Amino acid sequence: MALHTAGARDTEPEDVASNKRSDAVTLNLRWTACSVCDELYRLPTLREGEVAKCGNCHSVLMTNKTRHAERTLALMFSSLIVYLVAIIYPFMRMDRSGFSNEISVTDAVLILWRNDMQLLSVACALLILVFPLLRVVILSTLATATYLYRRPNLGLARFARLAQILEPWSMVDIFMLGVIVSLVKVGTMVDIALGAAFWGMVALVVFLTLGAGMSCRDSTWRFLRGSR
Amino acid sequence: MRAKDQGIALCGSCHSLTKHPDEPCVFCGASVSLRKPNSLQHVWAFWIAGIIAYVPGNLYPIMVTDSLSGTSASTIIEGVAALIHHGSYTVAAVVFVASIIVPVAKFAVIAWLALTIHFQWTVSKKRRIEAYEAIEFIGRWSMVDVFVVAALAALIQVGGLMSIAPGIGINAFALSVVFTMLSAMSFDPRQIWDEPSV
Repeated sequence: MALHTAGARDTEPEDVASNKRSDAVTLNLRWTACSVCDELYRLPTLREGEVAKCGNCHSVLMTNKTRHAERTLALMFSSLIVYLVAIIYPFMRMDRSGFSNEISVTDAVLILWRNDMQLLSVACALLILVFPLLRVVILSTLATATYLYRRPNLGLARFARLAQILEPWSMVDIFMLGVIVSLVKVGTMVDIALGAAFWGMVALVVFLTLGAGMSCRDSTWRFLRGSR
Repeated sequence: MRAKDQGIALCGSCHSLTKHPDEPCVFCGASVSLRKPNSLQHVWAFWIAGIIAYVPGNLYPIMVTDSLSGTSASTIIEGVAALIHHGSYTVAAVVFVASIIVPVAKFAVIAWLALTIHFQWTVSKKRRIEAYEAIEFIGRWSMVDVFVVAALAALIQVGGLMSIAPGIGINAFALSVVFTMLSAMSFDPRQIWDEPSV
Protein backbone atom coordinates (compact mmCIF):
# COMPACT_ATOMS: atom_id res chain seq x y z
CA MET A 1 0.00 0.00 0.00
CA ALA A 2 1.45 3.35 -1.00
CA LEU A 3 1.54 6.00 1.71
CA HIS A 4 1.15 9.71 1.26
CA THR A 5 4.37 11.30 2.28
CA ALA A 6 3.25 14.88 1.68
CA GLY A 7 0.04 16.86 1.65
CA ALA A 8 -1.39 15.03 4.60
CA ARG A 9 -4.11 17.63 5.07
CA ASP A 10 -5.52 17.01 1.58
CA THR A 11 -6.56 13.43 2.39
CA GLU A 12 -10.22 12.50 2.77
CA PRO A 13 -11.54 13.53 6.19
CA GLU A 14 -13.79 10.43 6.41
CA ASP A 15 -10.83 8.11 6.36
CA VAL A 16 -9.54 8.84 9.85
CA ALA A 17 -7.12 5.94 10.10
CA SER A 18 -5.37 6.73 6.84
CA ASN A 19 -5.36 10.40 7.81
CA LYS A 20 -3.67 9.58 11.10
CA ARG A 21 -1.13 7.47 9.34
CA SER A 22 -0.18 10.12 6.81
CA ASP A 23 0.03 12.67 9.65
CA ALA A 24 2.40 10.30 11.39
CA VAL A 25 4.45 9.85 8.21
CA THR A 26 4.78 13.62 7.87
CA LEU A 27 5.75 13.96 11.53
CA ASN A 28 8.40 11.28 11.13
CA LEU A 29 9.81 12.88 7.99
CA ARG A 30 10.66 15.96 10.03
CA TRP A 31 11.39 14.87 13.57
CA THR A 32 12.94 12.14 15.61
CA ALA A 33 13.58 11.63 19.31
CA CYS A 34 16.23 9.94 21.40
CA SER A 35 14.95 6.63 22.78
CA VAL A 36 17.16 6.92 25.84
CA CYS A 37 16.56 10.50 27.01
CA ASP A 38 13.54 11.69 24.97
CA GLU A 39 15.28 14.74 23.45
CA LEU A 40 13.49 15.86 20.27
CA TYR A 41 15.53 16.49 17.10
CA ARG A 42 14.96 17.59 13.53
CA LEU A 43 15.45 14.44 11.47
CA PRO A 44 19.11 14.35 10.50
CA THR A 45 20.06 13.52 6.91
CA LEU A 46 22.62 10.79 7.07
CA ARG A 47 24.81 9.54 4.25
CA GLU A 48 25.66 5.85 4.22
CA GLY A 49 27.92 4.96 7.10
CA GLU A 50 27.13 8.10 9.11
CA VAL A 51 25.84 7.96 12.67
CA ALA A 52 23.88 10.67 14.49
CA LYS A 53 24.42 10.84 18.22
CA CYS A 54 22.22 12.48 20.79
CA GLY A 55 23.77 15.72 21.99
CA ASN A 56 22.17 15.28 25.38
CA CYS A 57 22.97 11.71 26.45
CA HIS A 58 25.45 10.75 23.70
CA SER A 59 23.69 7.51 22.81
CA VAL A 60 23.15 6.64 19.16
CA LEU A 61 20.21 8.58 17.74
CA MET A 62 20.10 7.25 14.19
CA THR A 63 22.19 5.10 11.87
CA ASN A 64 22.37 4.56 8.14
CA LYS A 65 24.66 1.58 7.84
CA THR A 66 26.49 1.00 4.58
CA ARG A 67 24.72 -1.46 2.23
CA HIS A 68 22.89 -2.86 5.24
CA ALA A 69 20.33 -4.90 3.29
CA GLU A 70 22.84 -6.73 1.06
CA ARG A 71 25.22 -7.44 3.92
CA THR A 72 22.50 -8.62 6.28
CA LEU A 73 21.04 -10.81 3.55
CA ALA A 74 24.42 -12.43 2.82
CA LEU A 75 25.12 -13.15 6.48
CA MET A 76 21.60 -14.35 7.28
CA PHE A 77 21.65 -16.69 4.30
CA SER A 78 24.99 -18.09 5.51
CA SER A 79 23.50 -18.38 9.00
CA LEU A 80 20.64 -20.43 7.63
CA ILE A 81 23.03 -22.88 5.96
CA VAL A 82 25.20 -23.39 9.06
CA TYR A 83 22.07 -23.58 11.20
CA LEU A 84 21.00 -26.64 9.21
CA VAL A 85 24.47 -28.15 9.67
CA ALA A 86 24.26 -27.39 13.39
CA ILE A 87 20.96 -29.17 13.95
CA ILE A 88 21.33 -32.13 11.59
CA TYR A 89 24.88 -33.39 12.14
CA PRO A 90 26.33 -34.91 15.34
CA PHE A 91 27.33 -32.26 17.83
CA MET A 92 29.62 -34.17 20.21
CA ARG A 93 30.63 -37.74 20.94
CA MET A 94 31.69 -39.02 24.31
CA ASP A 95 33.76 -42.16 24.93
CA ARG A 96 34.52 -43.81 28.21
CA SER A 97 35.50 -47.41 28.97
CA GLY A 98 33.93 -48.84 25.84
CA PHE A 99 30.72 -46.83 26.13
CA SER A 100 30.10 -44.12 23.62
CA ASN A 101 27.33 -41.62 23.18
CA GLU A 102 26.93 -39.41 20.13
CA ILE A 103 24.35 -36.65 20.16
CA SER A 104 23.09 -33.90 17.92
CA VAL A 105 21.59 -30.73 19.37
CA THR A 106 18.08 -31.98 18.63
CA ASP A 107 18.96 -35.29 20.36
CA ALA A 108 20.09 -33.30 23.38
CA VAL A 109 16.71 -31.58 23.63
CA LEU A 110 14.89 -34.92 23.29
CA ILE A 111 17.16 -36.67 25.84
CA LEU A 112 16.50 -33.91 28.36
CA TRP A 113 12.77 -34.24 27.77
CA ARG A 114 12.75 -38.04 28.10
CA ASN A 115 14.81 -37.96 31.28
CA ASP A 116 12.25 -35.76 33.05
CA MET A 117 14.04 -32.46 32.59
CA GLN A 118 11.20 -30.84 30.68
CA LEU A 119 11.89 -27.27 31.79
CA LEU A 120 15.53 -27.44 30.72
CA SER A 121 14.52 -29.18 27.49
CA VAL A 122 11.98 -26.50 26.56
CA ALA A 123 14.33 -23.69 27.55
CA CYS A 124 17.09 -25.09 25.33
CA ALA A 125 14.73 -25.75 22.44
CA LEU A 126 13.45 -22.16 22.52
CA LEU A 127 16.68 -20.30 23.31
CA ILE A 128 19.05 -22.13 20.97
CA LEU A 129 16.83 -23.63 18.26
CA VAL A 130 13.52 -21.79 17.80
CA PHE A 131 14.32 -18.14 18.60
CA PRO A 132 17.59 -17.97 16.61
CA LEU A 133 15.91 -19.58 13.59
CA LEU A 134 12.94 -17.21 13.75
CA ARG A 135 15.31 -14.28 13.98
CA VAL A 136 17.36 -15.44 10.99
CA VAL A 137 14.23 -16.00 8.90
CA ILE A 138 12.72 -12.61 9.80
CA LEU A 139 15.94 -10.66 9.28
CA SER A 140 16.50 -12.30 5.87
CA THR A 141 12.92 -11.55 4.85
CA LEU A 142 13.28 -7.91 5.89
CA ALA A 143 16.62 -7.56 4.13
CA THR A 144 15.21 -9.11 0.95
CA ALA A 145 12.21 -6.79 1.02
CA THR A 146 14.41 -3.72 1.63
CA TYR A 147 16.77 -4.77 -1.14
CA LEU A 148 14.21 -5.66 -3.80
CA TYR A 149 11.29 -3.30 -3.25
CA ARG A 150 11.06 0.42 -3.22
CA ARG A 151 7.60 0.73 -1.71
CA PRO A 152 6.83 0.79 2.00
CA ASN A 153 5.62 -2.49 3.37
CA LEU A 154 3.84 -2.33 6.71
CA GLY A 155 2.75 -5.95 6.42
CA LEU A 156 6.24 -6.83 7.57
CA ALA A 157 6.18 -4.45 10.54
CA ARG A 158 4.86 -7.03 12.97
CA PHE A 159 7.62 -9.45 12.01
CA ALA A 160 10.24 -6.74 12.38
CA ARG A 161 8.91 -6.09 15.87
CA LEU A 162 9.07 -9.80 16.69
CA ALA A 163 12.72 -9.98 15.58
CA GLN A 164 13.55 -7.14 17.99
CA ILE A 165 11.72 -8.80 20.86
CA LEU A 166 13.57 -12.05 20.17
CA GLU A 167 17.01 -10.47 20.05
CA PRO A 168 18.02 -10.84 23.73
CA TRP A 169 16.40 -14.28 23.92
CA SER A 170 18.33 -15.83 21.07
CA MET A 171 21.22 -17.38 22.99
CA VAL A 172 23.39 -19.50 20.69
CA ASP A 173 26.44 -17.46 21.73
CA ILE A 174 25.86 -18.15 25.42
CA PHE A 175 25.11 -21.79 24.68
CA MET A 176 28.48 -22.21 22.96
CA LEU A 177 30.27 -20.64 25.93
CA GLY A 178 28.40 -23.12 28.14
CA VAL A 179 29.49 -26.01 25.92
CA ILE A 180 33.14 -24.93 26.16
CA VAL A 181 32.86 -24.72 29.95
CA SER A 182 31.33 -28.21 30.09
CA LEU A 183 34.14 -29.59 27.89
CA VAL A 184 36.63 -28.31 30.45
CA LYS A 185 34.56 -29.74 33.29
CA VAL A 186 34.46 -33.34 32.09
CA GLY A 187 37.44 -33.37 29.72
CA THR A 188 39.56 -35.20 32.25
CA MET A 189 36.97 -37.91 32.95
CA VAL A 190 35.76 -38.80 29.45
CA ASP A 191 37.06 -38.50 25.89
CA ILE A 192 35.05 -36.01 23.88
CA ALA A 193 35.15 -35.64 20.10
CA LEU A 194 33.61 -32.62 18.42
CA GLY A 195 31.29 -33.19 15.48
CA ALA A 196 30.43 -31.14 12.39
CA ALA A 197 27.49 -29.53 14.20
CA PHE A 198 29.83 -28.06 16.81
CA TRP A 199 31.67 -26.13 14.11
CA GLY A 200 28.35 -25.31 12.48
CA MET A 201 27.26 -23.69 15.76
CA VAL A 202 30.54 -21.78 16.01
CA ALA A 203 29.98 -20.45 12.48
CA LEU A 204 26.37 -19.62 13.35
CA VAL A 205 27.49 -17.51 16.31
CA VAL A 206 29.98 -15.64 14.10
CA PHE A 207 27.52 -15.03 11.23
CA LEU A 208 24.64 -14.05 13.53
CA THR A 209 26.78 -11.59 15.48
CA LEU A 210 28.21 -10.01 12.32
CA GLY A 211 24.80 -9.98 10.65
CA ALA A 212 23.13 -8.31 13.62
CA GLY A 213 25.89 -5.68 13.63
CA MET A 214 25.46 -4.92 9.93
CA SER A 215 21.68 -4.83 9.85
CA CYS A 216 20.34 -1.33 10.30
CA ARG A 217 17.24 -1.12 12.42
CA ASP A 218 16.62 2.55 11.65
CA SER A 219 16.97 2.22 7.88
CA THR A 220 14.76 -0.88 7.87
CA TRP A 221 12.00 0.93 9.76
CA ARG A 222 12.35 4.01 7.56
CA PHE A 223 11.83 1.72 4.57
CA LEU A 224 8.89 -0.16 6.09
CA ARG A 225 6.94 2.96 7.00
CA GLY A 226 7.82 4.80 3.80
CA SER A 227 9.75 7.70 5.28
CA ARG A 228 13.20 7.36 3.81
CA MET B 1 13.31 20.38 23.81
CA ARG B 2 11.87 17.10 24.95
CA ALA B 3 9.33 15.00 23.08
CA LYS B 4 7.15 14.50 26.14
CA ASP B 5 6.70 18.26 26.64
CA GLN B 6 5.35 18.51 23.07
CA GLY B 7 2.90 15.65 23.70
CA ILE B 8 4.89 13.49 21.30
CA ALA B 9 5.66 9.87 22.16
CA LEU B 10 8.31 7.60 20.71
CA CYS B 11 7.38 4.04 19.80
CA GLY B 12 9.74 1.77 21.70
CA SER B 13 9.65 -0.79 18.93
CA CYS B 14 10.01 1.06 15.62
CA HIS B 15 11.26 4.42 16.96
CA SER B 16 8.62 6.43 15.17
CA LEU B 17 6.96 9.45 16.71
CA THR B 18 3.27 9.89 17.32
CA LYS B 19 1.06 12.73 18.50
CA HIS B 20 -1.40 10.18 19.86
CA PRO B 21 0.27 8.50 22.80
CA ASP B 22 -1.64 5.62 24.37
CA GLU B 23 -2.88 4.44 20.99
CA PRO B 24 -1.15 1.50 19.27
CA CYS B 25 1.63 2.59 16.92
CA VAL B 26 0.16 3.17 13.43
CA PHE B 27 3.24 1.63 11.85
CA CYS B 28 4.13 -1.45 13.87
CA GLY B 29 1.16 -2.00 16.20
CA ALA B 30 3.19 -1.86 19.43
CA SER B 31 1.59 -0.05 22.34
CA VAL B 32 3.01 3.44 22.74
CA SER B 33 3.04 5.77 25.71
CA LEU B 34 4.92 8.87 26.79
CA ARG B 35 6.58 6.74 29.47
CA LYS B 36 6.23 3.01 30.12
CA PRO B 37 3.18 2.87 32.40
CA ASN B 38 3.98 1.80 35.99
CA SER B 39 7.56 1.13 34.94
CA LEU B 40 8.94 1.06 38.48
CA GLN B 41 6.21 -1.29 39.70
CA HIS B 42 7.06 -3.77 36.96
CA VAL B 43 10.76 -3.38 37.69
CA TRP B 44 10.23 -4.19 41.38
CA ALA B 45 7.81 -7.05 40.70
CA PHE B 46 10.29 -8.86 38.45
CA TRP B 47 13.16 -7.91 40.77
CA ILE B 48 11.46 -9.53 43.76
CA ALA B 49 10.54 -12.61 41.70
CA GLY B 50 14.18 -12.77 40.62
CA ILE B 51 15.43 -12.66 44.23
CA ILE B 52 12.92 -15.33 45.28
CA ALA B 53 14.20 -17.65 42.54
CA TYR B 54 17.82 -16.65 43.10
CA VAL B 55 18.02 -18.00 46.68
CA PRO B 56 17.11 -21.67 45.91
CA GLY B 57 19.11 -21.35 42.68
CA ASN B 58 22.22 -20.90 44.78
CA LEU B 59 21.40 -23.10 47.78
CA TYR B 60 20.23 -26.23 45.95
CA PRO B 61 22.47 -28.37 43.73
CA ILE B 62 22.39 -27.55 40.03
CA MET B 63 24.07 -30.79 38.94
CA VAL B 64 24.03 -34.36 40.24
CA THR B 65 26.87 -36.65 39.14
CA ASP B 66 26.34 -40.40 39.47
CA SER B 67 29.46 -42.51 39.08
CA LEU B 68 31.05 -45.69 40.40
CA SER B 69 32.51 -43.71 43.27
CA GLY B 70 29.03 -42.63 44.37
CA THR B 71 26.63 -39.77 43.86
CA SER B 72 27.70 -36.18 44.31
CA ALA B 73 25.63 -33.05 43.98
CA SER B 74 27.12 -29.63 43.45
CA THR B 75 25.78 -26.11 43.76
CA ILE B 76 26.85 -23.18 41.59
CA ILE B 77 29.64 -22.12 43.92
CA GLU B 78 30.83 -25.74 44.35
CA GLY B 79 31.01 -25.99 40.56
CA VAL B 80 33.34 -22.98 40.50
CA ALA B 81 35.40 -24.49 43.34
CA ALA B 82 35.74 -27.77 41.40
CA LEU B 83 37.07 -25.89 38.35
CA ILE B 84 39.64 -24.10 40.52
CA HIS B 85 40.58 -27.44 42.04
CA HIS B 86 41.23 -28.86 38.56
CA GLY B 87 43.43 -25.87 37.79
CA SER B 88 41.10 -24.44 35.10
CA TYR B 89 41.40 -20.90 36.40
CA THR B 90 40.23 -19.07 33.28
CA VAL B 91 37.06 -21.13 32.96
CA ALA B 92 36.49 -20.88 36.71
CA ALA B 93 36.73 -17.10 36.38
CA VAL B 94 34.26 -17.05 33.46
CA VAL B 95 31.71 -19.12 35.40
CA PHE B 96 32.26 -17.11 38.58
CA VAL B 97 31.67 -13.81 36.78
CA ALA B 98 28.67 -15.03 34.76
CA SER B 99 26.92 -16.95 37.55
CA ILE B 100 27.77 -14.99 40.67
CA ILE B 101 29.14 -11.50 39.98
CA VAL B 102 26.73 -10.62 37.14
CA PRO B 103 23.48 -11.65 38.90
CA VAL B 104 24.45 -9.89 42.13
CA ALA B 105 25.57 -6.78 40.24
CA LYS B 106 22.33 -6.85 38.27
CA PHE B 107 20.16 -6.95 41.38
CA ALA B 108 22.18 -4.13 42.92
CA VAL B 109 22.19 -1.89 39.82
CA ILE B 110 18.48 -2.32 39.05
CA ALA B 111 17.54 -1.58 42.67
CA TRP B 112 19.86 1.44 42.75
CA LEU B 113 18.41 2.83 39.48
CA ALA B 114 14.84 2.36 40.70
CA LEU B 115 15.63 3.98 44.04
CA THR B 116 17.34 7.01 42.46
CA ILE B 117 14.16 7.59 40.43
CA HIS B 118 11.82 6.98 43.35
CA PHE B 119 13.60 9.24 45.84
CA GLN B 120 14.97 11.63 43.19
CA TRP B 121 18.51 11.18 44.44
CA THR B 122 20.97 13.47 42.75
CA VAL B 123 23.22 11.05 40.90
CA SER B 124 24.99 11.75 37.61
CA LYS B 125 22.58 10.94 34.77
CA LYS B 126 25.40 9.83 32.54
CA ARG B 127 26.64 7.33 35.13
CA ARG B 128 23.14 5.91 35.52
CA ILE B 129 22.68 5.46 31.77
CA GLU B 130 26.04 3.70 31.54
CA ALA B 131 25.05 1.36 34.37
CA TYR B 132 21.67 0.69 32.72
CA GLU B 133 23.21 -0.10 29.34
CA ALA B 134 25.81 -2.36 30.96
CA ILE B 135 23.22 -4.55 32.72
CA GLU B 136 21.01 -4.68 29.63
CA PHE B 137 24.00 -5.93 27.65
CA ILE B 138 25.49 -8.36 30.14
CA GLY B 139 22.39 -9.78 31.86
CA ARG B 140 21.70 -12.62 29.45
CA TRP B 141 25.20 -14.11 29.91
CA SER B 142 24.20 -15.43 33.34
CA MET B 143 22.42 -18.20 31.44
CA VAL B 144 25.76 -19.87 30.75
CA ASP B 145 25.55 -22.24 33.74
CA VAL B 146 22.13 -23.41 32.59
CA PHE B 147 23.61 -24.47 29.25
CA VAL B 148 26.57 -26.13 30.97
CA VAL B 149 24.18 -28.34 32.92
CA ALA B 150 21.98 -29.01 29.89
CA ALA B 151 24.95 -30.02 27.71
CA LEU B 152 26.44 -32.30 30.36
CA ALA B 153 23.10 -33.90 31.29
CA ALA B 154 22.39 -34.69 27.65
CA LEU B 155 25.87 -35.95 26.78
CA ILE B 156 27.14 -37.78 29.84
CA GLN B 157 25.03 -40.92 29.98
CA VAL B 158 27.43 -43.90 30.15
CA GLY B 159 25.25 -46.86 31.01
CA GLY B 160 25.83 -47.64 34.67
CA LEU B 161 29.30 -46.09 34.78
CA MET B 162 28.62 -42.41 34.97
CA SER B 163 25.74 -40.06 34.39
CA ILE B 164 24.99 -36.43 35.02
CA ALA B 165 21.54 -35.09 35.83
CA PRO B 166 20.41 -31.53 36.50
CA GLY B 167 19.62 -30.58 40.10
CA ILE B 168 16.52 -28.67 41.15
CA GLY B 169 18.60 -25.52 41.64
CA ILE B 170 19.20 -25.00 37.92
CA ASN B 171 15.48 -24.47 37.22
CA ALA B 172 15.31 -21.82 39.92
CA PHE B 173 18.50 -20.18 38.67
CA ALA B 174 17.27 -20.09 35.06
CA LEU B 175 14.01 -18.46 36.20
CA SER B 176 15.96 -15.94 38.24
CA VAL B 177 17.96 -14.91 35.14
CA VAL B 178 14.77 -14.58 33.10
CA PHE B 179 13.10 -12.44 35.80
CA THR B 180 16.07 -10.08 36.11
CA MET B 181 16.17 -9.69 32.33
CA LEU B 182 12.47 -8.78 32.37
CA SER B 183 13.08 -6.42 35.30
CA ALA B 184 15.81 -4.56 33.41
CA MET B 185 13.61 -4.40 30.29
CA SER B 186 10.76 -2.85 32.28
CA PHE B 187 12.91 0.09 33.31
CA ASP B 188 12.30 3.22 31.24
CA PRO B 189 15.62 5.11 30.98
CA ARG B 190 13.82 8.29 29.92
CA GLN B 191 12.69 8.67 33.54
CA ILE B 192 16.29 9.54 34.42
CA TRP B 193 16.03 12.67 32.30
CA ASP B 194 12.60 13.62 33.64
CA GLU B 195 14.24 14.89 36.81
CA PRO B 196 15.52 18.42 37.11
CA SER B 197 19.10 18.65 35.85
CA VAL B 198 21.96 17.63 38.13
